[in-house]
Amino acid sequence: MNLDMSVRFGSLELKNPVVTASGTFASGREFADFVDLQRLGAIVTKGVSLEPWAGNASPRIAETASGMLNSIGLQNPGVEAFIAKDLAWLSEHAPRLPVIVNVSGHSANEYASVIERLERESSVAAYEVNISCPNVDAGGMVFGTSCLGAAEVTAACRKLTTRPLIVKLTPNVTDIVEIARSVEAAGADGVSLINTLLGMSIDAATRRPRLARVVGGLSGPAIKPVALRMVWQVSSALEIPVLGMGGIMTGEDAVEFLLAGATAVAVGTASFVDPTATMRVIDGIAEYCHANNIERVSDLSGALIES
Amino acid sequence: MCEQADTPASRPALERVRVLGNERIAPGVGILTLHAPRCASEVRPGQFVHLRVAEGRDFILRRPFSVHRAQDGALEILYQVLGSGTRAISLLEREQVLDLVGPLGRGWSAPAGLAHALIVTGGLGAAPLGMLAEELAAAGVAVTVAMGAPTQERLVARGLYEAVARRVVLATDDGSAGERGFVTAPVQRLLAEGSFDQMYVCGPEVMQRLVAGMAKEASVPCQVSLERLMACGIGACLSCVVSTRDGLKRACVEGPVFNAEDVLWDSSEVPPKH
Ligand SMILES: Cc1cc2nc3c(=O)[nH]c(=O)nc-3n(C[C@H](O)[C@H](O)[C@H](O)COP(=O)(O)OP(=O)(O)OC[C@H]3O[C@@H](n4cnc5c(N)ncnc54)[C@H](O)[C@@H]3O)c2cc1C
Ligand SMILES: Cc1cc2nc3c(=O)[nH]c(=O)nc-3n(C[C@H](O)[C@H](O)[C@H](O)COP(=O)(O)O)c2cc1C
Ligand code: FES
Repeated sequence: MNLDMSVRFGSLELKNPVVTASGTFASGREFADFVDLQRLGAIVTKGVSLEPWAGNASPRIAETASGMLNSIGLQNPGVEAFIAKDLAWLSEHAPRLPVIVNVSGHSANEYASVIERLERESSVAAYEVNISCPNVDAGGMVFGTSCLGAAEVTAACRKLTTRPLIVKLTPNVTDIVEIARSVEAAGADGVSLINTLLGMSIDAATRRPRLARVVGGLSGPAIKPVALRMVWQVSSALEIPVLGMGGIMTGEDAVEFLLAGATAVAVGTASFVDPTATMRVIDGIAEYCHANNIERVSDLSGALIES
Repeated sequence: MCEQADTPASRPALERVRVLGNERIAPGVGILTLHAPRCASEVRPGQFVHLRVAEGRDFILRRPFSVHRAQDGALEILYQVLGSGTRAISLLEREQVLDLVGPLGRGWSAPAGLAHALIVTGGLGAAPLGMLAEELAAAGVAVTVAMGAPTQERLVARGLYEAVARRVVLATDDGSAGERGFVTAPVQRLLAEGSFDQMYVCGPEVMQRLVAGMAKEASVPCQVSLERLMACGIGACLSCVVSTRDGLKRACVEGPVFNAEDVLWDSSEVPPKH
């Protein structure tokens, strides 16, 4: 049986539904020793801002049961350095790999300026606008936690590009469906979820928080049930496609996200545990399809049996 | 001989490895020997491996460990039991299979014409300097070693250093071996006496900072090996950053070995257990 792994994420054609989760795969170079980058459905880069950001103080991570907290704080060298180093490297070493640039900012204007600059680069396939990072004081999650803010950033970016615009949502809200609806109405071509859940870790022996910034974002298998629930809720309510993520370690985990309604999936923390995780997830999805007589991976999306 | 900083490091790989031995050598300290032919043939002194200790999902991150020695396809790792990961390591039995990513990071480098090196170790800091001491001695470099530890039995790898060094000076907190007190006192005297053209230091970060200060005072170039919390170990997550004169550097890629004069000693080190 011939298995068709390709999926259409809005107007994006992906050869398989597996992409990298922003901030967990840098811009691919660090993983080139371990994986064939061009086998990925797409790469989603680390967050890029207009100016360089220094990130937060250390310690920046803490291990937790089945997961980890991070408060990296979107450390990045800014969009110019990103273009000169990361985009250039990707164009040379993985020319057939679609590049989705993850965009961060402190204001709607800053997000828009990053996109404006990237519009001049032909090797960008799409944008993922991060309105959900819990690790920066101004901006980030502020936009992601109100319908108005989320719509404002989405609209500002939408005006500047005809490329696919994916908006990344935070789970740290009362009603994620409401936020998702507002970015859809403001012109988003897709949504990705979930970003990390705000959490905290304390060392009882020293009575101190384990993260210098006290709070941080929880990721890994610990958050998968929450992520699945949100992907299911949002994909049921929206017309635009959902990029699902949160704790995916195996092909079977990925299949669960597809069944819940995701069109594509992202692998994050798993790449820290096993640098070949993305490849294992691609292979695992294919195995599942073979074992279950599924000819097109896209048939899995939303195929949850609910009765 | 040791590579210069600008020669390309060996490429890391994910490798299935087998436990050849796991022995307790001091209270809370063990030596793990792994059959890891690829890594053992590529690793340079001061590099580390990222070990996946447990396959389950209760704790998921790998654990970073310096390579103490590498020989005939085997890696030796000296470990101190601190928490869940190192406890799991202490329970590993012969023939068990696990995996590692390595070799990782930038190790020690030797300047051209190096004649006399001073190695300073504190506690488990003796681990990442073992291979270096052996290579330097084999290349005809005179090696002096100053070792510090809480007690005599915690002077791990003392035998290795005594076998290859021209001179080994000891200091213990309780005076059970060598002089009583911190290793910094004998280092100060050695620097006053000797003519060293390179220092290599690993141990608690406060000790490394103090010794780096003495090296600067004595105008001896000094390399240090810094520990940071690490998620990926390969340069992708930015959890392991060290503040340097040239901005933030990743301990897992641009380190763990740094030129001491480049390091801005701040409070980003791994918080002590108590
Ligand atoms: C480059 C490098 C080389 C190292 N070499 C050695 C060595 O040769 N021998 C040795 O005994 N130890 C070494 N360490 C320290 C070793 O990694 C930690 O002791 C170990 O990770 C503790 O794990 P745990 O699960 O027992 O402790 P826990 O406290 O339960 O671990 C919780 C989390 O904190 C991390 N962590 C805790 N302490 C440290 C630490 N000091 N450094 C880095 N991460 C830490 C763990 O990796 C884990 O993610 C090295 C660390 C680094 C960064
Ligand atoms: C260390 C780290 C850095 C991250 N950086 C970003 C980022 O720059 N932009 C972003 O949108 N999400 C970022 N994320 C969130 C992930 O992309 C992902 O949404 C989240 O980790 C859940 O997936 P996972 O459980 O598979 O890791 C980061 C996550 C981690 C662990
Ligand atoms: S541990 Fe991830 S960048 Fe160093």
